[in-house]
Amino acid sequence: MYRNDEMMKKLDEFLLDVQKPSRYIGGESGSVFKDKENVDVRFAFCFPDTYEIGMSHLGMKILYGLKNRVPNYWCERVFMPLPDMEQKMRERNIPLYALESLDPIKDFDFIGFTIQYELCYTTILEMLDLAGVPVLASERTSLTPIIMGGGPCVCNAEPLCDFFDLFAIGEGEEMNLELMRLMEECKKNGLTKAEFLEKAAQIEGIYVPSLYDISYNEDGTVQKITAKAPAPEQVKKRVIKDFDSVYSPDNFVVPFTDIVHNRAVVEVLRGCIRGCRFCQAGFIYRPFREKKTDTVLNQTKTLCENTGYDEVSLSSLSTSDFSDIEGLLSTLTAYTSKNRINLSLPSLRVDRFNEKIFEEISSVRKSGLTFAPEAGTQRLRDVINKNIKESDVLKGVKIAFEGGYTAIKLYFMLGLPTETDDDIRGIYALAKTVIDEYYQNPNRKKGKSPSVSVSLSTFIPKPFTPFEFEPQASEAEIKRKQKLMTDICVDKKINISWSKYDVSLLEAVLARGDRRVGKAIYLAWKKGCVLDGWDEYFDFGKWKEAFAECGLSMSFYANRTRSYEEIAPWSHINMLVSHDFFVEENKRAHEGTTTPNCREKCSNCGVIKNIGGECCKKI
Amino acid sequence: MPNVNTRVFFSKTDRAKYISHLDLYRVFQRAIIKSKLPVWYTEGFNPRLYIQFMLPLSLGQEGLREAADFRLTEEIPPEEVTERLNASLPLDLRITETSVPVMKNTDIAEAEYKIEAELSREKFAEFAQSEKILVEKKTKKGISEVDLKPNIKNLEISDKITLRLPAGNEFNLNPALLFEAFEKFSGEKISRIKITRTRIFAKNGEEFK
Ligand code: SF4
Repeated sequence: MYRNDEMMKKLDEFLLDVQKPSRYIGGESGSVFKDKENVDVRFAFCFPDTYEIGMSHLGMKILYGLKNRVPNYWCERVFMPLPDMEQKMRERNIPLYALESLDPIKDFDFIGFTIQYELCYTTILEMLDLAGVPVLASERTSLTPIIMGGGPCVCNAEPLCDFFDLFAIGEGEEMNLELMRLMEECKKNGLTKAEFLEKAAQIEGIYVPSLYDISYNEDGTVQKITAKAPAPEQVKKRVIKDFDSVYSPDNFVVPFTDIVHNRAVVEVLRGCIRGCRFCQAGFIYRPFREKKTDTVLNQTKTLCENTGYDEVSLSSLSTSDFSDIEGLLSTLTAYTSKNRINLSLPSLRVDRFNEKIFEEISSVRKSGLTFAPEAGTQRLRDVINKNIKESDVLKGVKIAFEGGYTAIKLYFMLGLPTETDDDIRGIYALAKTVIDEYYQNPNRKKGKSPSVSVSLSTFIPKPFTPFEFEPQASEAEIKRKQKLMTDICVDKKINISWSKYDVSLLEAVLARGDRRVGKAIYLAWKKGCVLDGWDEYFDFGKWKEAFAECGLSMSFYANRTRSYEEIAPWSHINMLVSHDFFVEENKRAHEGTTTPNCREKCSNCGVIKNIGGECCKKI
Repeated sequence: MPNVNTRVFFSKTDRAKYISHLDLYRVFQRAIIKSKLPVWYTEGFNPRLYIQFMLPLSLGQEGLREAADFRLTEEIPPEEVTERLNASLPLDLRITETSVPVMKNTDIAEAEYKIEAELSREKFAEFAQSEKILVEKKTKKGISEVDLKPNIKNLEISDKITLRLPAGNEFNLNPALLFEAFEKFSGEKISRIKITRTRIFAKNGEEFK
């Protein structure tokens, strides 16, 4: 089994001088080592954030296991070092290396990034630079390394096109292997990078940005997107058809240190039936598919046995939408409680939150409970199609209070389309009703009082949602609304907090930006922006300078209403849900009309048409 | 249920030397669960897998014969325990022997170290001759001054340096202190140093069993 001893020696010289050195050295149980001589294609899987964050991510574990199953392919992990480590690496000319072999990743065939949130864009550039790889795709001429990206953000990858050679749109399981096979072939036959990219562009789901030309109108909007042969006009998102039998990892790399979510995770379903109009995940992961209860149980067992974890969590956008949720929970708890394993269940919806489910989770873990009504009044909840009624929230809260909980967390958004001050007052009213509900409980513990924390985020219009046309509220407007909230909130048991506007603004700009935004990202990075998702490193001043210097206006991207006819920067990407559907849904939103979920009624979002068959009938 | 006290000796080298003492418990816990060995949990409200490490090893130092105890609830051949644990542990943690505890951790008196460092042997020999080698040692009560000189035993300087120092819960001296003192003495910074704890000894002079 191979290890770069030279690198190990260099690291040994200073690793004790950095915080938590074990995250920079690899060798955890479950990590995969191979004999370099027998490996034909090497993949550096990069998570553009710290080890702790990246190691909790399920997608990375899936693709890691999947690629390493192929004997002559080797996939290794790479994360962003924190500043103390990075500085030491730069002082000693140590390039970014992969955690398994400790080899510099610049010598790999692929450097692939999973792009989960917009605020990691500068971190990607920093990682490439630290690796000794030119950040601009145009400056990289040899066949390897190919820099690729995947994950939810690449549904609009335009702001990143200057830096990447290709993007994988949609579910990566099949595409990743196909690309590696193509690379194996191209290396054998001595093909060039251009030849590789032309072939890659013909794989369903692969987007090669250099094969598309963009022209702009005078007002700054996109005029035309032209594909160069052999790239397709439209890049169609890749979907795994048989989800129940899709590869699921039978082992995880288990960190030495205790990271936040250090536990086994089993995916139970993909996609979402709900169609909340602000939620990008709800549309880009369609169609809804779920695994069989037995499949989930078997995967849970295998994973717990192979990792030795004593906690398992279920992963999905909305676990309570699993059709056999009660069956699933009792099957799983039967196994977990017998084996001293904790079962934790994120993403439960309040309207399906009943005593039975509550019992299952509370027998397991008693922490604060979270509900996300998102808007304060029924009118606005109808606009965003969040089909939750106040009574649903109260029912859930009541069960929670009766179960001994006293702290409730409520999530809302500010700046939603059509929002008025009444909706803001509604947020407070709802929080107040929750408090009142507590005192309705005759069995409440004497001397204890309830607390409700209201968390307000700023609405971010995202591509591939019915709200992609909507403007983001201005800073002044959001500030005014936050002030209104604090003014009316007199109850000490209600605690209000909000996210920073600057951060949401930047997210909106990067999410809906076009190719020209790449310049601003580059400049911001040059000015020192990195790890923007971390409060302590985020420097909005530098971002503002960067946009100003390249003559781009943030509000053009974030705060402008876009017409239904405007050509969006991402209109050559087909996420399977049709543009017409988004337009229709946007109109219904403004009328305050809700749309039933896919289980009640298909609303012809376009997915069935695109992939054929019976996409959602099986639910 | 029988309660079989079990002691494993293990090496902690290479990448594993960066596993902190706190994390080592978790790493062993997971390996034991994974190995499916029948082990004893503490009683009470929050049962915990019982593992006790005999002597903590400083972060960054390697150990060739570290010891940890746990209890099995069934008789299992020692070779099998070794094998099953090795299949579950990270690569650079290796069980070298499984046995039944003979001594208690309070019997531990000293440890033997091997040091590989880039430094001048002559200078180090000269340093080792000093009448006193005073170092500051952090204890629970604060910082106190200790003279290493009378505590160093079996010192040998060749291409490697080997020596023994007091070890155990009552009085433990970390060899790193000696090399910090040497840096002060010689005025040169040691760029590369590798400290390995090779063996542990009991009060009666025998190797810890
Ligand atoms: S095709 Fe119908 S059922 Fe399927 S995701 Fe779209 S709206 Fe839902």
